[in-house]
Amino acid sequence: MIVIGWIHSLSQDARRRAGVFRSALILFLPLAFGGCAWLLPQSEALRVQWPGDLEQRVELDRVPFFPQEDYRCGPASLATVMTYGGIGVAPDDLVSKVYLPHRGGSLQVEMLAAPRPYGLVSWRLAPRFADLLREVQAGTPVIVMQDYGVGPLSYWHYAVVVGFDRDTGKAVLRSGEKRRLEIPFAVLEYTWKESAYWALAVLPPDRVPATADEASWLQAVVAMERVAEPKATREAYRAALRRWPESLNGAIGLANVDYAQGDLQEAESVLREAVKHHPTSVVALNNLAQAVADQHRNEEALALINEAVALGGPFSAAAEQTREQIRKKMAAPQ
Amino acid sequence: MKSAAFRMLCRFLIASMFAMSFQPALAGVIGTDQAVAATSAQAGRAALISTLSRSDVASQLQAQGVDPEAAKARVASMTDQEVTTLAGQIESLPAGAHVSGLAIAAVVVVVALLVWYLWK
Repeated sequence: MIVIGWIHSLSQDARRRAGVFRSALILFLPLAFGGCAWLLPQSEALRVQWPGDLEQRVELDRVPFFPQEDYRCGPASLATVMTYGGIGVAPDDLVSKVYLPHRGGSLQVEMLAAPRPYGLVSWRLAPRFADLLREVQAGTPVIVMQDYGVGPLSYWHYAVVVGFDRDTGKAVLRSGEKRRLEIPFAVLEYTWKESAYWALAVLPPDRVPATADEASWLQAVVAMERVAEPKATREAYRAALRRWPESLNGAIGLANVDYAQGDLQEAESVLREAVKHHPTSVVALNNLAQAVADQHRNEEALALINEAVALGGPFSAAAEQTREQIRKKMAAPQ
Repeated sequence: MKSAAFRMLCRFLIASMFAMSFQPALAGVIGTDQAVAATSAQAGRAALISTLSRSDVASQLQAQGVDPEAAKARVASMTDQEVTTLAGQIESLPAGAHVSGLAIAAVVVVVALLVWYLWK
């Protein structure tokens, strides 16, 4: 409302303008008690205390720039981060993948989905300003969804954050027709907040984001696995295991890729390592038993699957099925 | 001669189909998606409705002017959960588009004023 008042005042005469300004000031007063912490909490937090692990100034100069055509900031932003991630695509290549002609824009879900068939992992950042800056510092340009609307109007827009400067308090974006749009942190937060701080990093499979947690990263990799080449998926699970060496689901994922590719020995050795760290994982034991049985070591497989079945839990039905299959194989004449 | 060879071929095909049906790619192995879903607290619900929703969302994308083949490929790249969030929402979810320099300038001024008043 305040904002509408101000915009409206631009078209009025000076006296009227002063009046609107006064009423705006009165409206501001309650806000002033809460300060910007209420309106722009994260910029305020950064202003009060700059995180110790963040540098003063970072800019990823080498991030390419594709000036957007017409209403196509979605394809342009995606092409920017995908090209930087090592997959050279032009915005035009992505129009048929993320653009909705009748809406004249691109949906968030489609922005997430489009890089996956190229073997890139789409990962959503936690809704934290400092995390956004941390990813940029780690060398990852980040797509943010902004709302440049005022009041009830919304103008949704995607831009790519490529840098920041603590001294000037500004972020650097590839946005629209501007290769280098510098906007204050407060303005970025004001526009970005409306999308619930929606931020997307698109990474080559061998790079795990600086602020990623194991669960959300593996979910992102599983999402890519549906449509990407096994080679990319395998690299992504390997990278996850480098970051979190004891990751159970990382090991299960890697072993499943190997298994599906027919590399039973590799699958077995990955799962053996996982079972060492997680002796009560029904999934790891079940999959290990299957990989061992497929190498015609049925006795050994049966011992493993018995362990899995004895543990119970949500996967016990699957484990019992595996045991059934192994028993059948043992009963069948060789 | 010919019919004997033909019979051989048929037998071979029947036998190979039989063999294949007993060896699906991941027999007995529990999928990573299931393992991850089980540990991420947001298990399964999506999977049940996914097949139905996928064709729904594909046709909704077509209604927005997307080519049928492209629509199918676009839906294929989504997770079950993502498909569920899109189903029936394509017209109302925010779609990022062009923004003019003027709009950016206006917001910069508005926020500058806010900051000036509140941080002064």
